Amino acid sequence: MFRLLLTTALVTLPLVAAAQEITVGAANVAPYIDPGRDHSNVGSQFYYNTFDTLIDRDHGKLELEWVPALATSWKLVEPKVMEFKLREGVKFHNGADMTADDVVFSLNRMMQATFPPYVVRAKDRLGNFLRAEKVDDLTIRVVAEREEPLWETLMSLQQVMIVPEAYIKGLTGKADVAEDSDYEAFALAPVGTGPYKVAAFQPGEKLVWERFDDFWGETAPLERATVVQIAETASRVTALKTGEADIITNVAPDQLSLIDSDPNLKTEGSATALFHVMIMNQNHPKLRDPRIRQALSLAIDRDALNEALWLGKAIVPSTHTMAEMGALHQPDLVTFEYDPERARKLLEEAGYDGFEITFDTAATYYTNGLLAAQAIMEMWGAVGINGRVNVQDQWSGNDPEMMVRNWSNPMYFADPFGSFGVMWAPGGPSESEGRFNTDADYAKKWDRFRFSTDVADRNAAYVELMEEIKQDPPMLPLYRPFESWGMKQSVNWAPMPGHIPYVLDFRAGSISFAGN
Amino acid sequence: MASLVDALPRLRRRGARRKGRGADIIQTIALVCAVLLAGGALLAPWLTPFDPLDQSLLARLRPPIGFDRYSAGHLAGTDELGRDVLSRSLHGLRLTLALAFAGAVIGLLLGGLLGLIAGQRRGWVEDGIMSLVDMQIAIPFTLVALLVLALMGSSLTVLVLVLGIAGWEQYARIVRGEVRRIAAQPYLEAAHTAGAGPFYIAWRHVLPNLVSPLVVQFTLSLSNIVILESTLSFLGLGVQPPQPSLGSMVGLGRDYMPTAPWIVLTPAALIVVLTFTVQILGDWLRDRADVRLRER
Amino acid sequence: MTPYLLRHVLKAVVTLWAIVTVTFVATRLSGNPIDTFLGEGLTAEGRQALIDYFQLDRSLWHQYLAYLRGVLSGEFGLSFVDRRPVTTVVAERLWPSGQLLLTSVALTVAVSLPLGVLAAVYRRSWIGSAVMVVAFTGYAVPSFVLAIVMVLTFSYWLNWLPVVGNGTWLHFIMPTIAMSGGLIAALTRFTRNAMLDVLGQDFIRTARAKGLRETQVVLKHGLGNASITVISVIGLQIAGLAAAGSVVVESIFSWPGVGQMLVNAAILRDYPVLQFGVIAVAVAVVSINILTDIAYALADPRIRLARA
Repeated sequence: MFRLLLTTALVTLPLVAAAQEITVGAANVAPYIDPGRDHSNVGSQFYYNTFDTLIDRDHGKLELEWVPALATSWKLVEPKVMEFKLREGVKFHNGADMTADDVVFSLNRMMQATFPPYVVRAKDRLGNFLRAEKVDDLTIRVVAEREEPLWETLMSLQQVMIVPEAYIKGLTGKADVAEDSDYEAFALAPVGTGPYKVAAFQPGEKLVWERFDDFWGETAPLERATVVQIAETASRVTALKTGEADIITNVAPDQLSLIDSDPNLKTEGSATALFHVMIMNQNHPKLRDPRIRQALSLAIDRDALNEALWLGKAIVPSTHTMAEMGALHQPDLVTFEYDPERARKLLEEAGYDGFEITFDTAATYYTNGLLAAQAIMEMWGAVGINGRVNVQDQWSGNDPEMMVRNWSNPMYFADPFGSFGVMWAPGGPSESEGRFNTDADYAKKWDRFRFSTDVADRNAAYVELMEEIKQDPPMLPLYRPFESWGMKQSVNWAPMPGHIPYVLDFRAGSISFAGN
Repeated sequence: MASLVDALPRLRRRGARRKGRGADIIQTIALVCAVLLAGGALLAPWLTPFDPLDQSLLARLRPPIGFDRYSAGHLAGTDELGRDVLSRSLHGLRLTLALAFAGAVIGLLLGGLLGLIAGQRRGWVEDGIMSLVDMQIAIPFTLVALLVLALMGSSLTVLVLVLGIAGWEQYARIVRGEVRRIAAQPYLEAAHTAGAGPFYIAWRHVLPNLVSPLVVQFTLSLSNIVILESTLSFLGLGVQPPQPSLGSMVGLGRDYMPTAPWIVLTPAALIVVLTFTVQILGDWLRDRADVRLRER
Repeated sequence: MTPYLLRHVLKAVVTLWAIVTVTFVATRLSGNPIDTFLGEGLTAEGRQALIDYFQLDRSLWHQYLAYLRGVLSGEFGLSFVDRRPVTTVVAERLWPSGQLLLTSVALTVAVSLPLGVLAAVYRRSWIGSAVMVVAFTGYAVPSFVLAIVMVLTFSYWLNWLPVVGNGTWLHFIMPTIAMSGGLIAALTRFTRNAMLDVLGQDFIRTARAKGLRETQVVLKHGLGNASITVISVIGLQIAGLAAAGSVVVESIFSWPGVGQMLVNAAILRDYPVLQFGVIAVAVAVVSINILTDIAYALADPRIRLARA
């Protein structure tokens, strides 16, 4: 009888096959939806369905293959200037036509950012772009400061997704000025050109997408998709079982068998384009000697962590590199190793006297984060390091007292610049936070790696950078975590290799239902 | 603590007169449980076959004895890092009990002192203390405790202080009431005229009368504190890993409920048995001691 | 009644001011929101820009006075995290919390009054003992244990009940029971003791002597009088215990309530949300207490007369 009651009560919830509606149970729902200011793992779930960039890529492929999106063609007109022809007849979700002004506005809100949250995100990856200009109603130009080897890559970033100028300016205050409060309001009522419009948004709780009928591209396969936050892992899995959710995110490896053993359910997963890293404070008085940090790194058997905690499905890298980077993928380079003997020797040489080394971690933010931290303490202990896990949700990466902590280094875009390059740039976030030092020599190498137009030269410079990292390590990439999604058997969905981590892509061709 | 030991024989004697039959079995069970729990907690380091922090990444999530894939020696199975669940539970019990005692003692001292002051000093001092008591009763303390721990960051020191503040107001009320009752007695008047100072009077006349109600209140508050500590640790704001407490074991193990329920069931059962036992004993002591305390 | 009420309200206002101040100081001294939720990998200029933007570089006094001024004019500010007015953020969550509180109180009263009366009337037989054992057990099972065991049984294995949110009445069943377990135990014992007190008094003997039926004696005279004390405990206990259970229940059942929001705001140092949330909860608790006091006063002629 109860089963019946439940079914009756759930009629309001989507019936997958019939109405093409789904409910996603997500570990986190973003507190705001603004592609410009966000680069979080939580936020990246939500942008691709709602917004478009000028250039897109074929996400079904690991190799880079650019496809036209809001720009139909693009070419370098001068060494530092690229011209984009815009697509005609594109509409925003509010019914307005997309114009060259909207595009220029969208790009300049980042390239010449004044709103502080934009400033923060723009500098580290869009720093080489001076401005965007309108040429005519269907043509715009982007001007770079130096010759740019990564034009397409950087023009397809989430941060430069196209947003409506007039709508944003009109949200608060004066209708022809973009005030900070306009951007704040936009983040709660986002409007884009993508195949789904945001029909309802409760920050941190729930987001509802509805199919946007005037979408310029192929019509969206879903009528409606609701993402609800279900923070507890156990509750998410249970919600999938009870049918309250059709897809759930962030299934830990230990839960996979639970879902896979149910004939009505399945899991899909991949080794995400992101490293869980361990960062070490180069400037902590007790860790200044590089040999100590080398030992902290050499003592960790990352393969054992992978076998035990990830069922062997994670990827343990030999250096900071990913297959997504194509010609810049350098799998043969060995920067990080497991060598407990050398760790012991280095500790002895450095005169390590058994002082306590703290390892900060949040309780649940990273899948298996707390477990890995505890296991690492055991491995440290085996070479004589006195480690202690310190659980705290606050970010401590900018605290001079921080010794070691976990972090993630996502691939923001498919280039070493988009993963290692952003975080470990001279004057970049890690150095600004005071736990990483660079000198003129490092800066020169980094500059060659970032701006050289010759791929071989970029690779060579990267090898030199990795050698610096090896000699005076500020971090250790642990592994690419194997992230999984659980879903009903009837849902055909899987993370695609060409996306940045965690994107929930429900566009045409990305999701379908068995029997439809 | 001496007062507690002194008080017990007297309570028993007084109770012996009015012994009822019905609830005997339950109380006997509770006493046996109490002895077992206290023994298990006190002797945990010697009883347990494994170090509660020792991991074995190759023997994770192994079930208890009698099931498939049982890993020898781990009677109650292993947890998500291959640590021995039984050892962790007993050490968790030990830590939970130690925290509860520490918290209850702080509450007793703090509440007792404030109650004593409120009882002896009238006027604004008493008013002030009593409005603090009222406030403490009115506020949802678990929520306050959660916020304090979330803000200050969880350390054992903060945790113990929070647990101590959790129940002080009951002691304050009892002590103040008793002080005022006794103050009205003629013999105190006499002691006062004979030149006895307030502290002497408190020690000589007030304290003996307080022993039994305080012992009862102490016992009752112990179970409240156990639940508070478990709840805080369950939510991740109490005892921090890798250190086991009963609550944090349930909290961290709950993701494994469907696949490896033993991780949660052992500590959860211990919490229930522990709270139950302490409750029964507290109630029994109250009946025997014939003190009328207001229900919390 | 009026001066009595007035004194209560005055005291409540002072209490609220104290709570606002303590919360303000505690949050500001304990950390900076920039470092807790915006902080990862900020460049130095980026961090400074955000500090300026959120006006966190002003002196504490300045911020405090500005906040008090805001409170007095009904302006409580915007959440640091999602930039919505905190009044909206909190209001959205007060109602689900209130609903759960109401169902829990209803269940608690419906179960524990009869149980308490039973336990008092049959205190010498096995029925009384059985009731008390149940009550003790109820108290000994913490809400989080009750909740996860229910979820495993009724949702995971049996697929009977939903676990996410507060959409339908079915969603209320498990959270309500999880919240009420401890309350029922406490109130049952309290009702029993209150009944025992009343039943031992002279007017009950008189009532019996007059030849009234036992049920009438127990229910009308006994429970009628015991309810005066029971009311007072409902107000005091329930607000506190419910708030205790609520954070656990909200997190396990993804219930969009206030408790979880407050804890998150504290972790993230979202000062405006935390401060207004604490104020809202404090107002709710203080009002419940005042209402309880009034109900108590109205129910008991002795108090009504003494304080008039």
